[in-house]
Amino acid sequence: MTELIEHTDAPADSRAVELSMQQAINRALRVLLEEDPDVLVFGEDVGALGGVFRVTDGLQKEFGDQRVFDTPLAESAIMGMAVGLAMNGWRPVPELQFDGFAYPAVDQIVNQVARMNYRTRGAAPMPITLRLPSFGGIQAPEHHGESLEALFAHTPGLKVVAPSDPAEAYSLLLQSVRSDDPVVYMEPKARYWDRRPVVLSEPTDPIGTSRIVRPGSHATLVAWGAMVHRCLQVAELAAEDGVDLEVLDLRWLKPIDAAGLAASVARTKRAVVVHEAPLTAGLGAEVATLITENCFRELAAPVQRVTGFDVPYPAGPLEPQYLPTIDRVLLAVQRTLEY
Amino acid sequence: MAEENITFTLPDLGEGLVEATVLEWQVAVGDTIGRNDPLVEVETTKSAVVIPSPKAGRVVELHAEEEQVVPVGDPLVTFAVEVEERAPQAGIVGRVPTEDAKPQRRVRLRPPTN
Repeated sequence: MTELIEHTDAPADSRAVELSMQQAINRALRVLLEEDPDVLVFGEDVGALGGVFRVTDGLQKEFGDQRVFDTPLAESAIMGMAVGLAMNGWRPVPELQFDGFAYPAVDQIVNQVARMNYRTRGAAPMPITLRLPSFGGIQAPEHHGESLEALFAHTPGLKVVAPSDPAEAYSLLLQSVRSDDPVVYMEPKARYWDRRPVVLSEPTDPIGTSRIVRPGSHATLVAWGAMVHRCLQVAELAAEDGVDLEVLDLRWLKPIDAAGLAASVARTKRAVVVHEAPLTAGLGAEVATLITENCFRELAAPVQRVTGFDVPYPAGPLEPQYLPTIDRVLLAVQRTLEY
Repeated sequence: MAEENITFTLPDLGEGLVEATVLEWQVAVGDTIGRNDPLVEVETTKSAVVIPSPKAGRVVELHAEEEQVVPVGDPLVTFAVEVEERAPQAGIVGRVPTEDAKPQRRVRLRPPTN
């Protein structure tokens, strides 16, 4: 895979090691299993096989089958078990193998995981981090390319995060698992093989902060997960036309960094939010509203949304037409520039 | 484009026939042929039929001489066919995404005037 665009904040650092996102997540899980004997990693095929995407490779061998173990193919049971373990003092890190298979576990996630702390007045916090390989881009069959962030962000009691590169994946996972609140950690499958030099570092930014991955002055592109890379491609192409785009990686989808969004858009005066999920009631609507509420006077154009379509996620060959294309994002940018 | 060898076995030519005799090859090793081009004439206990080629490709090997009896399911011919180079399998499902060296675009932007 040719990497055209380096993140502008990627440090040329002697401590950097070249890692894919899979490996970075694996490293973070190792750190977490080492530092806290209450951390448990479980799910379908995460143990003996090492995960269908190799993310948990070698963990069972290193930490034993009492701490890293396979479960039956039963997502509701996986999350129900996480609830029981959390109530008994463990720190579960379950994996649901694919986004679309989180639906069978929604009852446990929404009715138990998200509410238990509230229901028990803090007596039973749920320090659960649900690892959820998410979003599209790998031409997989149905149920393997879904974007569920709006559903989980809409559920009070959950935090939601989606990393966009290996270094982020590492530090955000540390932060998620150490948090005493339940976190849905959405791994962008299409970026699993993204290899780049990364400095593995402890999280420094608080939960709920965004980051600017490319500064610019004419408009802000807002994205998360794999769409951050798409927006960086767009920004690179726009620069050829003399248009200077800022790319903001929202990363925390609940809580959303309203102040960070406002700070960026107050400078650029234009915003385009890009996500893979369908348009209607997608998280882009929330982002657009927050920007409008906070930057109404500064805005030079209405916030644009570039998203998937309001259809079930299509079969593999249609994926490139469904996901926001470079041209669709460029057209939305043009609309904000011409308004 | 990469090439891949594909071997075509003698199909059951109808109603549970178990073998056929090669009468005449209509292609030779090295020929490049199209899909459905005549491949070989064979004779079963019912009739003589011409089997069309199931693939477009280059003939690499004929597995039977003329007059030879070939059991159903045995190799008949091997083709070298062009295959699209596909991205490696991602895992149990899906493919590793590939990326254009230079992302393609059609839309050009005009910088803002204000």
